[in-house]
Amino acid sequence: MILQSFKEAVAELADANKIKIKNTAIVTGIGCHAKIFDYVNLNSFSGLHGRVLPTLLGVKMSNPELKVIGFGGDGDTFSEGASHFIHACRRNADLTMVVHNNQVFALTVGQPTPTSERGFLDGYPPPGVTDQPLNPIALALINGATFVARTYALDKGHLKATLKQAIEHKGFSFVDILQPCIIFHNVVPYFQKNVYKLDKNYNPSNFKAALEKALEWDYCFDKGTKVPIGVFYQIKKPTFEEQLSVPDNPWYKTERKINWKEMTEEFKS
Amino acid sequence: MEKVILIGGRAGQGSAVTSNFIGKIFCHLGFYVFNYRDYPSLIRGGHNFNILRISDKPVFSQKEKCDIILAFDQKTIDLHRKKLNKKGIILRSFDFEPVLKKIGGPKILENDILIGSLFKYFSVAKEVLIREAEKEFPKDNELIKKAIVAGYDLTKNKEKLISKGGVKYFLTGTDGVALGAIASGLDIYFAYPMTPTTPLLNFLAKKQSRHNILTFQPEDEISVINAALGASFGGAKVMVGTSGGGFALMTEAVSLAGMAELPLVIYLGQRTAPSSGIPTYTGQGDLKFALNAGHGEFPRIVVAPGDPQEAIFRTQEAFYLSSKYRIPAIILSDKHLAESNYSFDKIERSPLISPKIAENMPENYKSYTITKNGVSPVFFPGQGPVVRVNSYEHDDEGNTTENPIWAEKMNDKRFKKLPYLKKEIDKFNPVSLYGKGKNLIIGWGSTKGAIVDALPEIKNYRFLQVSYMSPFPKEQVLKEIKKSKKVVLVENNVTGLLGDVIAEQTGFIIKNKILKYDARPFDTEFLIKKIWTFKN
Repeated sequence: MILQSFKEAVAELADANKIKIKNTAIVTGIGCHAKIFDYVNLNSFSGLHGRVLPTLLGVKMSNPELKVIGFGGDGDTFSEGASHFIHACRRNADLTMVVHNNQVFALTVGQPTPTSERGFLDGYPPPGVTDQPLNPIALALINGATFVARTYALDKGHLKATLKQAIEHKGFSFVDILQPCIIFHNVVPYFQKNVYKLDKNYNPSNFKAALEKALEWDYCFDKGTKVPIGVFYQIKKPTFEEQLSVPDNPWYKTERKINWKEMTEEFKS
Repeated sequence: MEKVILIGGRAGQGSAVTSNFIGKIFCHLGFYVFNYRDYPSLIRGGHNFNILRISDKPVFSQKEKCDIILAFDQKTIDLHRKKLNKKGIILRSFDFEPVLKKIGGPKILENDILIGSLFKYFSVAKEVLIREAEKEFPKDNELIKKAIVAGYDLTKNKEKLISKGGVKYFLTGTDGVALGAIASGLDIYFAYPMTPTTPLLNFLAKKQSRHNILTFQPEDEISVINAALGASFGGAKVMVGTSGGGFALMTEAVSLAGMAELPLVIYLGQRTAPSSGIPTYTGQGDLKFALNAGHGEFPRIVVAPGDPQEAIFRTQEAFYLSSKYRIPAIILSDKHLAESNYSFDKIERSPLISPKIAENMPENYKSYTITKNGVSPVFFPGQGPVVRVNSYEHDDEGNTTENPIWAEKMNDKRFKKLPYLKKEIDKFNPVSLYGKGKNLIIGWGSTKGAIVDALPEIKNYRFLQVSYMSPFPKEQVLKEIKKSKKVVLVENNVTGLLGDVIAEQTGFIIKNKILKYDARPFDTEFLIKKIWTFKN
């Protein structure tokens, strides 16, 4: 569903001349999400578990003309990659990070991740997970992300629209996709019953309201709490690249003339 | 003519700045200077000292015994008095308090009063000092000049030093790596601060706009190397810098560079290990770590320069080979090389130019096309063809695969590069020979300075410096070993790591070892004393 929505999102943005396919690059981590690497015909880098964000930043730094999109899992992004996520939010480079959040390590057959609910048991010894789940939406907000959204894999229209908005956003955009793993963490019935879209009158530029909304659901399934999806927050801030004094061209096009005499002058007695 | 000056005080009292300035003045006067820096991991307090060795002949190492002590505190005198030669003198900056009172200004000016007195002692013209002060401190130098003159007028001429004159270049190993990287067309330098490679980050950061480069300090070393690989994928020429602990964090991605076939230059400055070790001191304990870091098998370059001029060449070679063969290249340095100043009559760069980027767009581009030498044609995202790099084993299009045929093919592809690489390295003097004699000293990296300086005094010994550690020049090393009566290994580590590499690569086991692992570099006197124990 995510693959199809992403393909359509990219194709529609390209048709509307908002992005160029040849200037689009994706980076994937390790986990079920990373299968997307083999299914899209885009410039792509299948990197290391947890390191999607630094790799993605590097790709962007190498060529400001590129539109870069990272895909990670919840284990990938919030376990090994948690510190990168925090710093990516603070930095506001023009990147899009899409997390396939199934709240489980599925590729290794069912261990908990930082977003697994309390009491999670499958593949894990009793009493199950005792840690409080990490709330990615709240984490992104308090660390300065300029686009924070949650969507639901089984609502294809919402998913595609959210991805398009995220890709178009200038600055760090984060999309948390609730994507239940039907083998190891099947919470489809809960989501079908409780997921709801943010109200049309919701104002995504109000930080405090966004934070309050982010805390509405705690990623657990025991209280029957409703699960809001939509763009929680979006503002404009100077991007990382805008604040660097670097050329607007890709580095590989930089013409260099080495003036050895001038370079070594300061060491001369 | 040779003079050794020890300059010491508490951290923050300026022994590094003062010794650097004095060293530059002597260089200006046509002398060769070596400046060794010894300091604890402290911002203020403790005890810092520098040893300046000044000579009319080239020198590449410090000496234990000194002729002059310049002391900024009593502790310097207490600690180092025993190293002072018989006719040696001690100058104390804190004796100049009354002079400073007359001038007015901060206490640090006592150092400049001391500099004035020192050069008067050596009969150097006052005008030279003034000019050098203006050069070294272009802004707000009035008080400095006043202090130098006041110190100058306090003393009498005692000695006159004579040099052959001529221009000198005074630079550290860090400067050498920086110059080599800029000359190679470096685009982005990624690093997280860690002694002894932080000075490179500082140096390149200052040069950003002048050389149109970018330096970036992300949240940790893992980000450093993964961001660098992302940028390398995007076509930027990248380098990362760190020391052992930071490199340990990077190793997973070193293996990624090997699998994805992305160029990456790694500047690895060793310090005393294991673990946090002794952060601001030297050692050569990471040779096998550099050779083996990263899981799995993939070709890599490991090159160890022995002085700043070599650092320029070797850095250029690392960039050239890494981008041509699309493999990681490690420049293995250490604290002693990185932070000591060396002097040269001239400094040169290598004529190497990195391979040009492709321009003709192929019809059916495959990122991992299998070729004769294992190197695939390269494009960058945005140029047109879809570029795909993969940390998983992959087919020639970059698609993830578990197929046994592709697994074997791709391993062969990566290792096909090795014989070509080896041939290329043979042209870069992977080993160097110094002196004459039937016996052989073998060493690498920063020990070169002390060994080369000791050679004239240890007849019958020549010195084989091994610079390329991977691919290893085994034929050249074995040839010299076979020609020698006695072979002595000299290393700044506990077990003789190069000795192990030589044994593995050539089958020859070196029995005579001079190993120093007190976190301090070799000096000539120590080395000569040790060599004598093997002299029958």
